[in-house]
Amino acid sequence: MNVIRSSPLVIILLLFITAFCMPIIKNNKRVKVLSGTSLGLSFILSIINFINVLNNGGFSYRIGHYDSPWGISFYIGNVEAIMCVVFTLVALLVMVYSYMTIEKEIGKKRVNLYYTLVNLLVGSLLGIVFTNDLFNGFVFLEVSTLAGCGIIVIKDEKENIKATLKYLVLSSLGSGLVLMGIAFIYPVSGYLDMDFIGKSIQSLEGANRNLIVISASLFTIGLGVKSAMFPLHVWLPDAHSSAPSPSSAILSALVLKPPVLFLIKILYKVYKIEVLREMGILNILLVLGSIGMIAGSIFAINQKEVKRVIAYSSVAQMGYVFYGIGLGSKLGVIMAIFHMIGHSLTKSALFLIGGSMIKKTGSKYVKDLKGIGREMPITLGLFTLCALSMVGIPILPGFISKWKLAIATIESGKIYLMGVILLSSLLNVAYYFPIVINGFFGHENLEGKTYMSKELRKPKIIPIGILVICVILTGVFSIQIIDFIGQGF
Amino acid sequence: MKSLTTNYYETGSIILFGIGFTMLLLHNNIIKKIIGMNIMDTAIFLFFIAKGYVHGKDAPIIRGTAAGYIDPVPSALMLTGIVVAVSVTAFLLALTVRLYKAYGTVELDEIMKMRGD
Repeated sequence: MNVIRSSPLVIILLLFITAFCMPIIKNNKRVKVLSGTSLGLSFILSIINFINVLNNGGFSYRIGHYDSPWGISFYIGNVEAIMCVVFTLVALLVMVYSYMTIEKEIGKKRVNLYYTLVNLLVGSLLGIVFTNDLFNGFVFLEVSTLAGCGIIVIKDEKENIKATLKYLVLSSLGSGLVLMGIAFIYPVSGYLDMDFIGKSIQSLEGANRNLIVISASLFTIGLGVKSAMFPLHVWLPDAHSSAPSPSSAILSALVLKPPVLFLIKILYKVYKIEVLREMGILNILLVLGSIGMIAGSIFAINQKEVKRVIAYSSVAQMGYVFYGIGLGSKLGVIMAIFHMIGHSLTKSALFLIGGSMIKKTGSKYVKDLKGIGREMPITLGLFTLCALSMVGIPILPGFISKWKLAIATIESGKIYLMGVILLSSLLNVAYYFPIVINGFFGHENLEGKTYMSKELRKPKIIPIGILVICVILTGVFSIQIIDFIGQGF
Repeated sequence: MKSLTTNYYETGSIILFGIGFTMLLLHNNIIKKIIGMNIMDTAIFLFFIAKGYVHGKDAPIIRGTAAGYIDPVPSALMLTGIVVAVSVTAFLLALTVRLYKAYGTVELDEIMKMRGD
């Protein structure tokens, strides 16, 4: 029993230890085998952990057997368990895809370093998901930032260096704010463990109340920078579009999510909902989320490069997540988490497909992708499915999260915000469908293209296909997943 | 006003934090940005350690004679924080070197103008 309960820690240790073994292996094939084995094992372990949580409920895990306020503890509830499964699955599939393409993108010499960074990144992200300790979360956040910058700059071109520098400067700003937030909350509570802080700050009054407000806003802005909350998203499009495509998939699908989850945990475990309502932070999140949903889509329409379109779409989708949190109801937060799951799967598939289309056509611009539906029908078909999910067509997860967010909006009595959801969905159509329609239809577009001439080989299609199947499954089993997440609250 | 002078550690660190923050955000020169980031981080360390310090108490090394000890947790945390700040700074400086090799300048506004080519 105890062995199974240790699986979250084992996953993180496994990923970290294998990460540091990779730089000393010179043979690229062996590095790939090691990376695949470690990610595969962590996926199996996360499934075991998920089944354990499903049967026995959430538990907290003491690291080093010290009790909570003195030692660091993990809390693995329903949300954490399901997020862990999604993250390890996406990481595994994206990496399986990358084993076939990475050498052409970054050169043979850096392959072992690349997989080192990916393992470090996935391990630290899972650390942020599991941790119940503020400072521990901060350290994992920093590890993930540095590793995330590493997998962008590994391509070593002008654009990448500029994008990484922008990302790192803004990220260090964000982490500085998070640390300041911890500095404000520690003296008034005396703890770093979230549950204990939550208990001890409930009785605070007077001037100390201001400290709580300051720390909550510092956490919100700091973690907002890391997860591309609307006005702080400026680093995202450059970083995500210039990176090698497996990196973009990982960055967009995984790196944006744990800071939000950490923010949800801080807001609901430390400050509790009554204090949040009083402070008005939720309203700010709601407004920024709504603006992000629309502005991200408008920016995406104006982009000429495929990867930048997909990257700006991430800004819009993160807007939905912040919108869900900002609604302040239980359903809103559940749907924010569900949207993160759906977005992880969909966006990683979109980036892989976008990357492969760029490679096959040799052009990164949207206008050169006309008629690609005849040359790569299966690939563009998968792209269409993902785009439909983003737009919100029934059964697919994008629809479920929009539908339920609309219900949550009505429940909380803010019906005027329904317009934002509708407008944002329409805008989503405006930037995804031109790619699809110009790809499949139109005489002048299809002229001179040979059927299936540029289609991807089977081993590359399979990981993308599995991702898309997971997208559809998430939609089909959405009721069960939402129930499962809901029990965790 | 009086509370600002009695809590001079906190006041000083918040002023430093503001200086570092604005430098990080507003300067075009990347080296100055990095210096700003360091000032900001140092301000946080000062703030945190000042919060853990209890006037007149000993360092947390148990010898059996002291009447009480200061809170050791902030010092331990800031040790980790310094390590993090150093590694981020090192990475930023390494990137700056490569950026200079690629663009021939460390001024961000000049680099942004070069987007066309």
